[in-house]
Amino acid sequence: MYNLHLSAEQLEFRDTVRDFVAQEIKPIALKPERLEPFEHPLLMEILDKASNLGLRTLALSEENGGAGADSLTSCIVTEELAVGDVDIAAVLAETSTLSHILFHRLMTPAQRNRFLPQFLKDDRYHLAFAGPEPGTDTRLGVNYHCASTPSRIATKAVRAGNGDWVINGIKDCVLNAPVAKLFVVQVATDLDRSDRQDTNLLLVPYDAPGLAVREQNQAKLRCHGAGGELIFGDCRVPAENLLSAEVGSAAALWNRAVERGSPQEQALNLGIGRAAYEAALDYAQLRVQGGRRIIEHQAIGTKLAEIAISLEVARNAIWQAAYASDHPDAVADRSLPDLPLQIIAKVFTSEAVYRAAKDAAEVFGAMGVMRDMPLQKYVHDALVCLHSGDGNSDAKLRIAEALAGYRRP
Amino acid sequence: MVGGETDNKDLMMDFSLNEEQRAWQMKARKFAQEEIRPISLQRDQIADPRKTFDWEIIKKGSKLGFRTAAVPKEWGGYGIDFVTQALVMAELAKGDSAISKTFSQCWKWSHLIAAVCTEEQKERFLKPFLADDTFVLGKGITEPSAGSDNRLPPDDDPKAGVKLRAERNGDEWILNGEKAFIANGSIAKLFFLDVRTNPHVRLRDGVTLFLVPSDTPGFRVGKVFNKNGWRFYQNAEMIFENARVPHANIVGEVNGAYKKSTGDTSGGDIFGDLELAANALGVCEAACEQALHLARTKMQSGKLLKEQQVVQLKIDKMHMLTEALRSFVLRVACEHDQKMHSANAGLAMNFSTDVIQDVTELNMDIHDGAGCVDVGADKLVRDSFIWTHLAGDSVQRMKVARRIIK
Repeated sequence: MYNLHLSAEQLEFRDTVRDFVAQEIKPIALKPERLEPFEHPLLMEILDKASNLGLRTLALSEENGGAGADSLTSCIVTEELAVGDVDIAAVLAETSTLSHILFHRLMTPAQRNRFLPQFLKDDRYHLAFAGPEPGTDTRLGVNYHCASTPSRIATKAVRAGNGDWVINGIKDCVLNAPVAKLFVVQVATDLDRSDRQDTNLLLVPYDAPGLAVREQNQAKLRCHGAGGELIFGDCRVPAENLLSAEVGSAAALWNRAVERGSPQEQALNLGIGRAAYEAALDYAQLRVQGGRRIIEHQAIGTKLAEIAISLEVARNAIWQAAYASDHPDAVADRSLPDLPLQIIAKVFTSEAVYRAAKDAAEVFGAMGVMRDMPLQKYVHDALVCLHSGDGNSDAKLRIAEALAGYRRP
Repeated sequence: MVGGETDNKDLMMDFSLNEEQRAWQMKARKFAQEEIRPISLQRDQIADPRKTFDWEIIKKGSKLGFRTAAVPKEWGGYGIDFVTQALVMAELAKGDSAISKTFSQCWKWSHLIAAVCTEEQKERFLKPFLADDTFVLGKGITEPSAGSDNRLPPDDDPKAGVKLRAERNGDEWILNGEKAFIANGSIAKLFFLDVRTNPHVRLRDGVTLFLVPSDTPGFRVGKVFNKNGWRFYQNAEMIFENARVPHANIVGEVNGAYKKSTGDTSGGDIFGDLELAANALGVCEAACEQALHLARTKMQSGKLLKEQQVVQLKIDKMHMLTEALRSFVLRVACEHDQKMHSANAGLAMNFSTDVIQDVTELNMDIHDGAGCVDVGADKLVRDSFIWTHLAGDSVQRMKVARRIIK
């Protein structure tokens, strides 16, 4: 059995979001006065409207009030959103993904009762995970094919006399930091006083005393959406903000949940390519040079064909990774290869979309580099994806380790 | 030289340069290091495209001869040969690609003045150009609906290409229309303009080359384009509303802009192709320098970056391409000096597009791969995008191919 039919619901999601992008996002996101400046502040009103459509709570389970979308559906939605505005797509994808893990899998019923109603009610309630710290290097690099000591978490949480947690430390490159109202913060607790470091997750509201949030430059972070730094100075949260009743168990669950990575990042990357492709295809059918519409010239026709090939193949790789994430049994029954499919999709998509965006810009001639036109932004956005995470060289090393059956100790 | 046996790294490529060529190269290198590089990134980061330009660097460079380097000696310029021109453009571009281009844009058209202008025109235009450190030149070809059509004009369509119209009125021509993306458009004091003088025939039979000073009544500058790369470089819209230009400002014959006898046969393309390839070489050198510096100094997990095979392979590719481009550029320059003109200049220009983009992207890859996102590496990549439409789009490649095939 091999079936690539989307469900009626998935098709409807796609059409709805595509329409939303055309009607609501593009007319604002593509205005020259928004494109030209170096900074592109988040379009908060559009985020509100998207939340109204249910896109902020897309992956949240239905019993918790969300749409219960699986990974493939989330990919379809994220691709469409990214065609309109990559930052909107990134913020929504992060909150939606975290809402599923957090409310459905990690919170105790009591915690859910405390946080879920506010989350559902408030269109501007976003979520963020604060893991990375300044100077943390997760790259394999020289540690390819050899054991390496995982870096210790420097952000510490200790118990105060009344049971409160007191947090000190700095987190950076936190996606969604500037818009999040609730952070999941990875902390070292050292409760057992042994050599082993205990890692725990604490729920920290954005207005907790002792927490300062500072926005960081997106281009420098090589990520889309909104990123920032969290500074904890004797930041206090109540004892009940420890995720999961059992100390330490949430962190392991968390690692399993995020370890696989999310093909939604690749869907976002693909959306950038789509935006560039659609712009180039439209323009090639309008622009006349050499006595005919430029799409009728072999040189331009071939270029557009190459872009289309790249995007179609990339989408297949992404959907395969998403399907594998939704159906772990497909690997178990040997329908899908036991390979890091998400990393494979990341490398292919980021390289293919970068080339596609550059080719699409070429179709526009000199207009392809002008800041009041979207093409240069698509190229830049694709470049950010090309260098996101630990980069493709490192991603290939991880794939190679998997091919060799090497297991990190 | 890279990978040389001795520490004398200038030995390999420079042995064939004569003293004058070497002196110009060193002068340009010093100017690029001491004057251009310190302002390069700072100018690039200015948001308003009208404010990225800096007259001070132009004046300083002009006093050193970089503005008038290509004007023949008998007219009071320096008359440097093509090899020297290539060397100087690359050195300046290593400091900042767009600043190098602002100077070489003047060479491009001073070649033309020397080759095709009358003595009377030279008196009127070349002399003030030589005397004034802020006198820069431009040429207007492209229009909103005439880009590729000017580069590769279709034979069967008289409507294709230049539309800016000139009509004769006694001793004057009246110009109406516009030009777009014109280099130095907002700062040049004198332009060479391709203008339609006969709209009923194909491009090559109906266009006249005009000398148009920037103070021509009826001419004004429109918007300055906000580019993602080459931000220092001013590309502007030129608007002509009943602009009056004397008949004496016509270069060559009426309707003769594209004719071999009177048109642009020595200045534009022959120099222009070499110019972009040589400029790209300088950018590649800057990228190699940045990548090497990082590889030699950045530690990752207790080891220098240069220890890693994936980094070594990228460094190898960057230098392989850069050195291949250097060989190609100098060969073309040498051929030009011996008046051997072939498709090589165009091929070198096309090749430089691939090379500059690969090399600057690899540099960025090495930086980002090590977690060192760098605005300098980013600038080189953005500058390299300019080559796509100037030097390496399919039209620029087919133009060269047709020259080879015919």
